[in-house]
Amino acid sequence: MQPDSRPFEVAVLLSVGRHPLTGRARRADHDARGLELALGLSRNLDRLQVRVLHAGHHDADNDAALRGYLGMGLEALTLVEQPAGADVIPALADVLAMAPPQLVVTGSRAECGEGSGLVPYALAERLGWPLVNGVVEVESIDKGVATLLQALPRGQRRRLTVRLPAILSVDAAAPAARQSAFGPAQRGALDSLQEVAIIDEELTEWTFSPARRRPKRLKIIKATSARERFKAAAAKAEGGGGQVLSNVTPEQGAEAVYKLLEEEGVLR
Amino acid sequence: MLETLLPILIFAALALAVVGAVRRIRLWRQGRPSRVDLLKGLAAMPRRYLVDLHHVVGRDKVMSNTHVATAGGFVAAAILMILVHGLGLANPFLGGLLLAASAVMFAGSLFVARRRLNPPARLSKGPWMRLPKSLMAFSLGVFLITLPTLGILPTDAGHWLLALVLAAVVAWGLGEMVVGMTWGGPMKHAFAGALHLAFHRRPERFSTKAGGEGRSTGLKALNLDDPEAPLGVDTPSDFTWNQLLGFDACVQCGRCEAVCPAFAAGQPLNPKKLIQDMVVGMAGGSDAAYAGSPYPGKPVGEHAGDPHGPIVAREGTALVDAETLWSCTTCRACVEECPMMIEHVDAIVDMRRFLTLEHGNTPNKGAEVLDNLIATDNPGGFDPGSRLHWAADLNLPLMADVKQADVLLWLGDGAFDMRNQRTLRALVKVLRAAGVDFAVLGNEERDSGDVARRLGDEATFQSLARRNIATLAKYHFLRIVTCDPHSFHVLGNEYPELGGHYPVSHHSTYIAELHAAGRLTFASWKGGKVTYHDPCYLGRYNGEYEAPRNVLKALGIDVAEMGRSGFRSRCCGGGGGAPITDIPGKQRIPDMRMNDVRETGAELVAVGCPQCTAMLEGVVDTPAEVRDIAELAADALVLESDPGGGKRRNQPAFEEVTS
Repeated sequence: MQPDSRPFEVAVLLSVGRHPLTGRARRADHDARGLELALGLSRNLDRLQVRVLHAGHHDADNDAALRGYLGMGLEALTLVEQPAGADVIPALADVLAMAPPQLVVTGSRAECGEGSGLVPYALAERLGWPLVNGVVEVESIDKGVATLLQALPRGQRRRLTVRLPAILSVDAAAPAARQSAFGPAQRGALDSLQEVAIIDEELTEWTFSPARRRPKRLKIIKATSARERFKAAAAKAEGGGGQVLSNVTPEQGAEAVYKLLEEEGVLR
Repeated sequence: MLETLLPILIFAALALAVVGAVRRIRLWRQGRPSRVDLLKGLAAMPRRYLVDLHHVVGRDKVMSNTHVATAGGFVAAAILMILVHGLGLANPFLGGLLLAASAVMFAGSLFVARRRLNPPARLSKGPWMRLPKSLMAFSLGVFLITLPTLGILPTDAGHWLLALVLAAVVAWGLGEMVVGMTWGGPMKHAFAGALHLAFHRRPERFSTKAGGEGRSTGLKALNLDDPEAPLGVDTPSDFTWNQLLGFDACVQCGRCEAVCPAFAAGQPLNPKKLIQDMVVGMAGGSDAAYAGSPYPGKPVGEHAGDPHGPIVAREGTALVDAETLWSCTTCRACVEECPMMIEHVDAIVDMRRFLTLEHGNTPNKGAEVLDNLIATDNPGGFDPGSRLHWAADLNLPLMADVKQADVLLWLGDGAFDMRNQRTLRALVKVLRAAGVDFAVLGNEERDSGDVARRLGDEATFQSLARRNIATLAKYHFLRIVTCDPHSFHVLGNEYPELGGHYPVSHHSTYIAELHAAGRLTFASWKGGKVTYHDPCYLGRYNGEYEAPRNVLKALGIDVAEMGRSGFRSRCCGGGGGAPITDIPGKQRIPDMRMNDVRETGAELVAVGCPQCTAMLEGVVDTPAEVRDIAELAADALVLESDPGGGKRRNQPAFEEVTS
């Protein structure tokens, strides 16, 4: 087999995180895990080129946080210059479309700002690439097809294959990011790239407040004996009420989702 | 025949020694520059040798006398030999002195030989085993060749063959004692050691004529502003030249090995081997020739390095494995015992700095702790706003409110630890009983940077230190008191280099002073036998051995000392980030320390450090309770209903120590 001379190119999208207790700017946990996943591809690829992108602007806090990623052993980070309040998706999509990588890795949700977790989805839609969320491992890449492990609740894993180029998003299930070292962090370059900024008008009308932990559904255990209580505590979540819909029209799908939301009391 | 042969032998040996010296000096000069006052150092060298070095050597009287006889005899014999046999000044006075000197040296070498009969494990074998024979060859040879010179024996006594044999013996002696001094071999320690004393990188650690024992224990800061400045030590040539010189001075006596807690616990560290590995790296080669105890669990001969190659490989093996460096608790027991005044801890932290700052490879919980320090200013990752939660009911005066106080009580990160909170509450009770005007920084306080620095993260240390210094600059206080010897050491000995100069006291010192001033009254001790564990950062780092004992005495406690106490105290295992990097060994260091406690039969061990408390209390099936000195003092307080108590409160407790 003739080896592919072109390096395998991965782009990692990185955001500035926020420490949950002190609010200090830092490497965002999920994004750092994404970068770790990308850097770890060197184990199964001979020629790997990792390009990292951040859409945002220079300031002391941001730069210090971005240098945290450089400290993981990168020579440079591309800063796609965007003012505060800009919608970064068009800019990121443009940059990615200009020099398309084979793989884009993102975190699943930003630690500050909107934090909607929609960036990978919006990018996938714009670029027309498949998206896999909750990726924990790229097992192999062969002839433009990647074999992935996706995290499911309770430690379950699902093996998927996806045609490249694709977008992968990682969450807290992915392997922890390596330590950031001061030396490479200081030496690494923050290369600026000017992009047209599109201000997100709707965002300006929003009011921001700290996120609250989502309420957890209480598990009511009606056990009468210790054995039953133990079984209930150790039991796997039963997905009994679920329903797999395939080959349905969008209307039918939407109707099913609407019905479920009504049943669950989300919509009244 | 000997008259012609001897001068040739002597001057050939001296010439060879000079060539060797030049080669050796070139090895040292591979290191980075270090500013040393060469002339002042050379002038101070005799005193450093005769006073400071012999203070350490003198702890073992037999060896000390042996060394005085052997080394003194050798130096005198060598000089006289050059005069008598080299330059032919064969007058009876010099000759007589030469006989005496070589006789003394021979007597010394007999004791050296006796020690080598059944050498303790800490001594290196190999070439060192031949040293007594070489010493004897030199002293005996010189003695015998001097006899005819003085006319005690006829010049033509014996056969020419005998003269040849004698010349060979002298040549052997000269080879080991003079040529070997600079070409390597056991006698290298004399040449390198003398220069190491003269050009030591911590000249302030030596005593001076003015008196006072020198002490210099603070780590030296890295220059982080210069992007060209290397971050720690990657290759042997990244050490400063006088550090390399220091490594070369090692006599492989293994005193460091005998006191190293990590070595005793079976962790892969042996300070002696580490220094020898640096010597191997400096010259290039493998450690196969090393003839002492290896790093536990790591056979000799598998590691090699060169002056410009990495000491720790990113993958595979190089000169030293990372876990060797991370086993150190920075307890300084090795430095305290080293008769050659080698600075092991500096070297280890220098290499750790590179591993953390460049490799980004701090083992186990290291990375997490450093991230916490960066994000929350404390190693546990606790909300910095909760630093005073333990004192919610104590109504502690905050510096932010009072702006000035006699005493600034530095809480340390023990403020987040429920065990240490008991100590802190006890200390507050004692301070209040003595009517001390004190205040705390509260949430403005940050970690002192101790752990970050010992884990090699100089950047985080300096960031914490500079912010702490800026906070402290806002307030007025006469001194800082802390119950954490690590904070004590860092605030007192390591902040000055960054511009923070404060008088700092350990709480035991302060309680002792308060008691001596009559401001505290204690009920006498009614419990059982008590022993005291010296924290490394209080004792060896700061020389405070007396104050805690004085407090215990004031409490009516007669301390049952452990076999290893005072400057020889065994580490609890909690220093230098060792509990964070957690390198596995055969046993745990605190277990060994608790065994020391068990041997005294004490029911209670008094401590003065949150780390020691945590480590010693973590021992299962413990023979003794662990109590901080502050807790013992607080329990024994006799609170008198003193009407003048309120008045006393406003007076400054002590005169200001610095201006």
